[in-house]
Amino acid sequence: MSGHHISSAKFLWGVAISLFILTFLTVGVAYIHIPEPWNVVVKISIAAVKAVIVAAFFMNLWWDSKFNVMLFIMSILFFVLLVGITLLDTLYRVDPVPSF
Amino acid sequence: MATNDESKKVRKLQVRRFKPEENPEKHYLNEEKGLWAWMTTVDHKKIGLMYLGSIVFFFFVAGVLALLLRTELLTPARSFMDADMYNQVFTLHGAIMIFFFLVPSVPAVLGNFILPLQLGAKDVAFPRLNLASYYIYVIGALFTLFAIFTGGVDTGWTFYTPYSSTTSGGNIMAMTFGIFILGFSSILTGINFMVTIHKMRSPGITWNKLPLNLWGLYATSIIQILATPVLAITLLLLTMERMLSIGIFDPAIGGDPVLYQHFFWFYSHPAVYIMIVPGFGIISEVISTFSRKVIFGYWAIALSSLAIAFIGFLVWGHHMFTAGQSSLANMVFSFLTFLVGIPTGIKIFNWLATMYKGSIDLKTPMVYALVFLFLFTIGGFTGIMLGALAVDIHLHDTYYVVAHFHYVMMGGMVMAFLAGLHYWWPKMFGKMYSEFWAKITCAVIFVGFNMTFLPQFVMGAQGMPRRYFNYIDQFQSFHQFSTIGAYIMGVGFVMMAAYMIHSLVKGKPASSNPWGSRALEWQTSSPVPLHNFEHTPVIINGPYDYHKPMSEFQLGIAAKHGHHHAEEEVAVKVSKQEKE
Amino acid sequence: MSQPSAVEEKLEHLQHHFIDSDQQFEASKLGMWIFLVTEILFFGGLFAAYIVYRSWYPELYLLASEELDVFWGAVNTFVLIGSSLTVAMAIRSAQLNQIRGLIINLWITIGLAVTFMVIKYFEYAEKIEKGILPGAHYSYDGIAHEKANIFFSIYYMMTGLHGIHVLVGIGLMVWLVFKAKKKVFHSGYYTPVEITGLYWHLVDVIWIFLFPLLYLID
Repeated sequence: MSGHHISSAKFLWGVAISLFILTFLTVGVAYIHIPEPWNVVVKISIAAVKAVIVAAFFMNLWWDSKFNVMLFIMSILFFVLLVGITLLDTLYRVDPVPSF
Repeated sequence: MATNDESKKVRKLQVRRFKPEENPEKHYLNEEKGLWAWMTTVDHKKIGLMYLGSIVFFFFVAGVLALLLRTELLTPARSFMDADMYNQVFTLHGAIMIFFFLVPSVPAVLGNFILPLQLGAKDVAFPRLNLASYYIYVIGALFTLFAIFTGGVDTGWTFYTPYSSTTSGGNIMAMTFGIFILGFSSILTGINFMVTIHKMRSPGITWNKLPLNLWGLYATSIIQILATPVLAITLLLLTMERMLSIGIFDPAIGGDPVLYQHFFWFYSHPAVYIMIVPGFGIISEVISTFSRKVIFGYWAIALSSLAIAFIGFLVWGHHMFTAGQSSLANMVFSFLTFLVGIPTGIKIFNWLATMYKGSIDLKTPMVYALVFLFLFTIGGFTGIMLGALAVDIHLHDTYYVVAHFHYVMMGGMVMAFLAGLHYWWPKMFGKMYSEFWAKITCAVIFVGFNMTFLPQFVMGAQGMPRRYFNYIDQFQSFHQFSTIGAYIMGVGFVMMAAYMIHSLVKGKPASSNPWGSRALEWQTSSPVPLHNFEHTPVIINGPYDYHKPMSEFQLGIAAKHGHHHAEEEVAVKVSKQEKE
Repeated sequence: MSQPSAVEEKLEHLQHHFIDSDQQFEASKLGMWIFLVTEILFFGGLFAAYIVYRSWYPELYLLASEELDVFWGAVNTFVLIGSSLTVAMAIRSAQLNQIRGLIINLWITIGLAVTFMVIKYFEYAEKIEKGILPGAHYSYDGIAHEKANIFFSIYYMMTGLHGIHVLVGIGLMVWLVFKAKKKVFHSGYYTPVEITGLYWHLVDVIWIFLFPLLYLID
């Protein structure tokens, strides 16, 4: 059955080490000073890669039923909806914060 | 992993017919006795009934509050309560009705009772979690009652900042915390239902044989799961705002109050679909059953529930047209709001098409379903007007909004709930109610409802603001008409309580299938046995196939070693989700 | 599903309304995944507040994040990823019927989680000392921005809520250790270990995003 995938210890260590390397990378990138919009993009991309690695190989989504994968993606999608549509308001206000 | 060709596989099953036992001596209501057995039960049916008792209590409390409000509004000036009291009463009416009655009513009461029965399952997937949800609901309710008795709340049910976070007196902390807790009850119920629908189906119940009531509950669960956590974090932030002045929503400290409204409505707009979508499911069941006809446009109805659930997440900003959000957001939200009309319209037309040339039997549930169609359509159309940006600037925060909301919630959701309650009442208690008095009551409620809320459309359009304690003399006749209507409605609900109690005590015993329905929950005895079915049901027809003989709906797996011999062999599709 | 297993099947864990262990396991796991969806959206609200304020005051975030110590943030990231590894190892031990390994791995995970919280405690203490408190209580004047209090409100809410999740995780794992010592788990039944693991990995994933968003702005 889909739910009973057993990873080898070597494999799990490999996953963890790749996550460690990516953490070093993201800290390193912070010291290079990439110009403004791109530094965020790079750091969030690294974080996203790490999250996908954890989800796929630690949380076993790689071997799991597609419905669980869909759930995970759906939660991200609705988060993007929340942020995206809220930004439609907050970015385009004449006065960013009503002054009191 | 389950492969695609497996899902197309057909399995042969040895089946026999199981006729439901009529008026069984042992059933879920009498098999385990005593208060303790009830309070610790994990049986979904009993938990459903416990929810029923609780929401009836809250409906009564909030209903009495509504009558107090209407009484106060008999005269333009103060009648018998002062303005602060009035603010508290309308806040409590709204908050209790929405969070303690409307949100849990259909899913937690009727959903809990019916969902496993319609799947042929013995229980929901997580029975203990189900019981926990109930107690979380009770704890949340206790916090709210505590808030009422220690200062009350006067912010309106929306708890807008900064009034709620700084200015307002009263016990907002306890109230928001109560609703925060309540949210978990809602989330856990949603999880439970989704897993149950996915994993606990009887052989043969593929996605296209799932009763539409379950599609409705499924869509509702999705909304509960995706929206409620955002309410939780919003209320948590509000609590922190009040306790530690963190200032994210408070302009005095540097925050943005409109952001609170975004977060709040990201939940609370989808929440109105949590309230109404399961009602749609009930209406589909009732209309098909009492038209003796296969439902028209099964997939259209099923998928429009999911579509409403999805589009419901895109329109929250139409509550904020006058709150100072950017005009770009206003236009986008106004446009998206109109989209909700499409799946809703699809449903209405499919129900009408189901009735067309059907053999309509005007039993009480069907009468309520027709009332629903009438009132909900009015509520829906006025919603389109409110969604139009320009019109809303005029109508925002007037009685027009109040009337619209009550037409969709009371005229829509409560009527659907009453349709469902009357429809499944014989299954729940094994007793019939008086058809005569039920119809009279329905008429009284219908008249009272329209008397109450139709004048409010007119008042609102003429500029009567909502949540006001006083008003100018011009509106007095409308207000008085509305108040009389509210009393009539109140009488209607008292009448309902009377004949329902009479039915419990002296009602005629119900047969297992008094409406001649083809759906699975009617193929077991009334009241239901403790474990729902004595056999594993096997489904070969859709739940609305009224052209097929009743006996084809009573199949179950023949015991391998028992003394019962298989009567025949049927082929059912193996669904990916279901187990042998 | 119906293959006879080599080990004689123990079925005490099977609840009456399920047909077999697989159905029960799959149902629990699906339930946990749906719960994780709610968790993501729960934190999502805070991330949304973060993004909205960052889009308004990008310079505030640059200034304020300098108050956060990248070194300890990075150490905590390693600690949490390490604990994710040990949880995964714990699940593997349970799948292979190695109950001793399961218990040891759970203890290591608990130890790492506690380490995380201790580091977090020192970070908080250092800030509170300076008067960096959320919202109205903010009294630090080292940051030249009038909305610095809002950044730290968001910081405290995000890391605080995450910290509460870590504490819950510790509680769950202590409970698992007790259950494991009572020999409840075996290769045919380890559902609570698996779903607690899923929860723990999610807590890890949230931190993976919190770290660059809060500590590594410049």
